Amino acid sequence: MLTNILSIALGAILIDNFIFSQFLGCCPFLGCSNKVDTAAGMGIAVVFVMGLASAICWVVDTYVLVPLGLEFLETLAFILVIAALVQFVEMFLKKSVPSLYAALGIYLPLITTNCAVLGVVLLNVQNHYNFIESVVYGITGGLGFMLAIVLFASVRERIDFADYPDCFEGFPIALVSAGLLALAFMGFSGMKIF
Amino acid sequence: MNIRDQFREGLITNNPITVQQIGMCATMAITTSLFNGVGMGLSVLIILTCCNVVVSAVRKIIPNEIRLAIFVVIIASFVTIVDLLLKAYIPALSDSLGVFIPLIVVNCIIIGRAEAFCQKNDIKASFFDGIFQGLGYTVILIVMCVIRELLGSGRFGGGLIDVAKGFRFTLDGTGGGIQIFPSEFGASILTLPFGGFLTLGVVIAAMQYFLKKSAREKKAAEEAAAEAARLAAEQEED
Amino acid sequence: MKDNKIVKLSLVLFLVCAIAAGVLGVVYNLTKPTIDRRALEKTTAAFAAVLEAESYEVVDTGAYTLDRSVNSVYKASDGSGYVVESTFSGAQGNITMVVGVKSDYTCSGISITEHSETSGLGAVAASASDAGVAFREQFIGVGENVTVKDIDAIAGATITSTAVTNAVATSITTVKTIEGGAAA
Repeated sequence: MLTNILSIALGAILIDNFIFSQFLGCCPFLGCSNKVDTAAGMGIAVVFVMGLASAICWVVDTYVLVPLGLEFLETLAFILVIAALVQFVEMFLKKSVPSLYAALGIYLPLITTNCAVLGVVLLNVQNHYNFIESVVYGITGGLGFMLAIVLFASVRERIDFADYPDCFEGFPIALVSAGLLALAFMGFSGMKIF
Repeated sequence: MNIRDQFREGLITNNPITVQQIGMCATMAITTSLFNGVGMGLSVLIILTCCNVVVSAVRKIIPNEIRLAIFVVIIASFVTIVDLLLKAYIPALSDSLGVFIPLIVVNCIIIGRAEAFCQKNDIKASFFDGIFQGLGYTVILIVMCVIRELLGSGRFGGGLIDVAKGFRFTLDGTGGGIQIFPSEFGASILTLPFGGFLTLGVVIAAMQYFLKKSAREKKAAEEAAAEAARLAAEQEED
Repeated sequence: MKDNKIVKLSLVLFLVCAIAAGVLGVVYNLTKPTIDRRALEKTTAAFAAVLEAESYEVVDTGAYTLDRSVNSVYKASDGSGYVVESTFSGAQGNITMVVGVKSDYTCSGISITEHSETSGLGAVAASASDAGVAFREQFIGVGENVTVKDIDAIAGATITSTAVTNAVATSITTVKTIEGGAAA
């Protein structure tokens, strides 16, 4: 059980990193990585929402959709759950933890359309994970996203001083740098916990 | 706005991938064979067009406060329909695109067009917007697939074109494609995630280069025309 | 007034969801028979490719302690052997495959039903190309002690090859456990 969870965690953070090997969550990854601070804020918000979404969607799937034979509504139900969850978290933080809201608030609405969140809940179903495995996969997947986006933001701050062709201005040079990071992450493939 | 402008906008000047720079996850993830690229592109095109039409049709009757929620429901429904149809009739494509079909729900292209275009335009304009934006998306996917497949494994049209059983198109994903050069000489790194990032970066850079160049040429032509007009005016004064 | 508005909005949203769910239900029911038939065809084809038999019956695996990679075990009706379905993690994700095991505990063939390996490298293991067929055929006749050193791994796909080899070894061990349990 423990090794199973450890191998899911290791897989989600390093081996099958959501950004660098599964391409989930690339939009916010490229959009919110200009500064390390914003990147870290986005990362924390994603870890939070992915963990919660995995837990709630697992419950919805196992106790509502599967017993009723409505598996084909999974996509629809999950996106609604995520959208509602994000709204709810936003309202909750605004009222009860204003300091955290001030730090994360602006990132929350963006997370609804982050495909890493919908991706993780769909993969949980596809991989037949149980409740604990789903939550672990959600949280560690978010941690992998955070690791990737913070690393990438640090790289991007240096790119500003680099000399590259004009036409690579903006996204293209960011994509090429992200590719090089993906290459580095390939070194983790094949790592395993037995 | 006429159809021709919309066509130009969708394919070049406001291309969803290279100019708006949205919906990139799937673009990088699935462009490893022409089969995937064409399949994904057409799925997005169909979903986008249907969603555009429906959103545009109901735009006046839905309450403004919950429009985003309703858009999401509409999009998710069409995505699920396409997902089920692919599973039933083109299972090979469904297997090979995997989780990226349901993930079209959160592809920013669709919700972006619903919010930015269909809310304000009639059904006909929204329909063509869906077709042309979808085409723009498909074209870039195909370009990426061709580059990655050719340089990565020396093939063209993997999964889609079957040479072994005579030159024909297949939809069961078994076609080997046309082998241009032996796959051992391919830079197989391009079929890995790294290749996705690199190829998309280069494709967008190329697009930016040409857009800038044509903007410069247009500007130069305008300046030349103004100059000529000024000279003509001076000559008339003489 | 304000409450009224919230009620109205919820009603509209509920209505939209209901319509969407209704439409999806219709489409689902229309496509379900085809999807089920495809899935059945796929399993039958995979089974027939690894171990020829008229029909297969499910073995109740609850009674044995088996490797957790094993999903399900089927026994050929004519007693010629077993078909074991297992899932192993490959280079890019899970690889699900069926392995045919003859009654003398050797492998009679393998077939990969689901994978997400890299196209051109790991994916060769599952492909219909000559290299893919050659890779799978070399497992025919191997026993439970097979390791990745005994076979020609796919170039550039050591992880995939190792996963497939492990699946074959595990499947044979599984059948031994079950047969042993039946004897005892």
